[in-house]
Amino acid sequence: MKIGSRAGLAGWLLLLPLILWFVAFVVVPTAILIGCAFCDRDDLGRIVYHFTWENFRRTVDPVYVTIFIRSIACAGLTTVICLAAGFPAAWFIGRAKPSVRSTLLLLVMVPFWTSFLIRTYAWMTLLKQEGLINGLLEYLKIIRSPLPMLYTPGAIVLGLVYAYLPFMILPIYASAEKLDGSLIEAAHDLGAGPLRVFSSVIVPLTLPGIAAGVLMVFVPAIGMFAVTDLMGGARVPLIGNVIQNQFMQARDWPFGAALGVVFLLLFAIVYWILQRAPGAAGPHHD
Amino acid sequence: MIRTLLRGGWLFLLAAAASLQGRPEINLFAWSEYVPQKVIDGFTRETGIAVNYETFSSNEEMVSKLVAGGGDYDVIQPSEYTAEALIKANLLAKLDLARLPHLRNIDPDLRHLPFDPGGDYEVPYMSGTVGIVVNTAVVHDPIHGFQDVFQPSFSGRIIVVNDNREMVSWALATLGHSANDINAETLKQVRPVIAQWIKLIKVYDSDSPKTALLNGDVDLGVVWSGEAAILWNQDRKFRYVLPAEGTHRFIDLLAMPVGAPHPREALQFIDYILRPEVSVLISNEFPYTNPNLAARALLTPEQRANPASYPAVGKLEIFRDIGKQSAAVDRLMTDLKSAQ
Amino acid sequence: MRQIGLGNRLMHRGLATWTGVVLAFLYAPIVVLVAYSFNASRLNILWRGFTWQWYVDLAHNGPILAAARNSLIVAAVATVVSVVIGTGGAWLLYRYRFRGEGAIQTLIAIPMVMPEILMGISLLLFFSRIGLRLGFATVIIGHVTFCIPFVCAAVRARLHGLDPSLEEAALDLGATPLRAFWLVIVPYLRPAIAAGALMAFTLSLDELIVTFFTTSAASATLPLRVFGMAKIGLNPMLNALSAVFVIVALVVQTGLRRLEVRAIR
Repeated sequence: MKIGSRAGLAGWLLLLPLILWFVAFVVVPTAILIGCAFCDRDDLGRIVYHFTWENFRRTVDPVYVTIFIRSIACAGLTTVICLAAGFPAAWFIGRAKPSVRSTLLLLVMVPFWTSFLIRTYAWMTLLKQEGLINGLLEYLKIIRSPLPMLYTPGAIVLGLVYAYLPFMILPIYASAEKLDGSLIEAAHDLGAGPLRVFSSVIVPLTLPGIAAGVLMVFVPAIGMFAVTDLMGGARVPLIGNVIQNQFMQARDWPFGAALGVVFLLLFAIVYWILQRAPGAAGPHHD
Repeated sequence: MIRTLLRGGWLFLLAAAASLQGRPEINLFAWSEYVPQKVIDGFTRETGIAVNYETFSSNEEMVSKLVAGGGDYDVIQPSEYTAEALIKANLLAKLDLARLPHLRNIDPDLRHLPFDPGGDYEVPYMSGTVGIVVNTAVVHDPIHGFQDVFQPSFSGRIIVVNDNREMVSWALATLGHSANDINAETLKQVRPVIAQWIKLIKVYDSDSPKTALLNGDVDLGVVWSGEAAILWNQDRKFRYVLPAEGTHRFIDLLAMPVGAPHPREALQFIDYILRPEVSVLISNEFPYTNPNLAARALLTPEQRANPASYPAVGKLEIFRDIGKQSAAVDRLMTDLKSAQ
Repeated sequence: MRQIGLGNRLMHRGLATWTGVVLAFLYAPIVVLVAYSFNASRLNILWRGFTWQWYVDLAHNGPILAAARNSLIVAAVATVVSVVIGTGGAWLLYRYRFRGEGAIQTLIAIPMVMPEILMGISLLLFFSRIGLRLGFATVIIGHVTFCIPFVCAAVRARLHGLDPSLEEAALDLGATPLRAFWLVIVPYLRPAIAAGALMAFTLSLDELIVTFFTTSAASATLPLRVFGMAKIGLNPMLNALSAVFVIVALVVQTGLRRLEVRAIR
């Protein structure tokens, strides 16, 4: 409930720093990004301010369309796995007794607060050719020679799921915890089977949490080049890696910016769709 | 309790901020795995000058950051062709050679490079070749050149350095061209060759290609000679082969960008590196071909006998600046690597 | 709190088991990493004996210590700045009606959901264009920008439960709106400010992508160093570092639970 009196001059002046900050460091950089996408580069990789459609023409080259699709598929798969694996756990924790709940929450938060890089690195040590998993499988005589597990698309998805799972669990947990249990009881009393209860009561009521979780996993996962670089070894190019490369080795900032703009459009669309999810009021946190 | 935390935090911030200002320092921008921590620490201990060591994995990445105007670098480590491009673009500062007394230790052969006849803009750091390393315990086929490496039988077992220009030069060699013969026509010719190779490569790594070879993740590859030398020292099963189709040598240099904030300290650092005993430390950790003759005299016979460090080979060509074509090379490699 | 579906024992047990599996999945690699941080063998899988060596190496590793110091400085400054701007902003937007409020709210929310790589490259282009040298300032700017929305969200959630008469009472007693804010509202908001600050601090410490594009050598943060080390290959020092991270996370979390329990009273 708002107390709402109209903001006077003082109010606007006080809010100005905040607005200016965001204009300066969000709006203007984005504008520059879009502008740069129309520019060219010189021999040394400096930006040349001279209008061209070339970069955007390159982004619709089948090579890059494939990469976008692959990245979206990868992120999509990651999101689905996180949702499928995380929802039951988040639900269980959200509905558990307070004492149990707080311990479980602590257990989930600790990996969340441990650097995601460290956690990705942990998987690298397990998956490499002479790593633990191969060692174990060979010791148990399940396989005869080591399996190549690192630097595959599977490893990338695994790395992404591992990095983002807590981001899916926490918002869903928040929704699940707030859910009024009597609604579920009422559904049971009305004779609904467990599946019906799930689809008609539980899912709609946890939708804000689900939407928040999806938004916090899907879009970031597309651009997360650190994980894909470590787990994929530059062998499976995803859009985040290609963009990063344009700003580093390939020295083609305008092309990187063009890819970035396309990514931005994609993100805007996904955001818009998720905002339409009934009850979703944007991501919320503890 | 919160108040104590806040107070403590504030004091920490002040102390940290104080520790950051006012002490002399230089910003070193060099290849990762190329400047030993021992050398940096030794320099700081002796002169009191702190060294901020930022790394890059390719010449292109270095140039990218340099021209972005983002970095305040004092000493950079370009390879010869990059130095040539930077000199042309007036981005390198002339070095006050009077402040580099140990420069006399450098092989005179390397002192008057074609793009810097006066030797004013750069100082050789390390030299080397790019060649094939084979884990002979696993690979029994004879490997003599690039064609032998990029065979379907080795699919998924190959590592290469993550360097666009390098890969193009190898493809050019297999087609009988010089490494500097880069134009629209030759790029068109190498395109299918590289496209084919990319399908077989498992790992791209310029930072530490020896790791994947040691791990057994890959069995052979095309890597920097220093990495091959380290592998040879670890285990004689790793043989270094200079490709029959032809190869080039590289000379990595130390240079100072125009507008470096600490030019005096930068020269001090460069002269420090040129001391024979310091140069030996570098050779110990990164066994490339040391251009410092006084340092070479201090190496052990075993080090000098390392076939990857000091290959028995005549004068090889070096990369030259290819100007506009470097953009074409980058585009080609981006397109090919993305098309997997 | 209610239990899940009455009489649905199987469902309950199934969910409990699944949660256990998920937790095992989350912890297994970390546990392995910590265990191997004491392994005297470099190559990791063969156990060669117990050693503290890697921890000793870690404690003496100049670049890592410098990076850790940088991370703490950046996180501390970013947290303070974002808490001040974010709390003030959230309060102003709640208390007064501004024209174009919806747009302002959306603007603030953008960094929270925008992919970090886009933020990173656009900030790099921006700083490059205006000629601002990369370093602590640019890194902190980036961090503050994505921390503010989180602080705002935490504060806004708490403001929903605010009793308007609190402020009215203060104003009636003669306080100016500013004093009323400081003496009445801020204490009320303390748990939310703490939660927002904690969130900001954690996000900043763990941030890699935006920092990657906006940093210089001197201001390299810990995640950047770790990324560089992880790319080079397996390194027992990294194992030791991971163990340190895990312990710190555990300690912080347990400490937080204690504070929460106290705050509820």
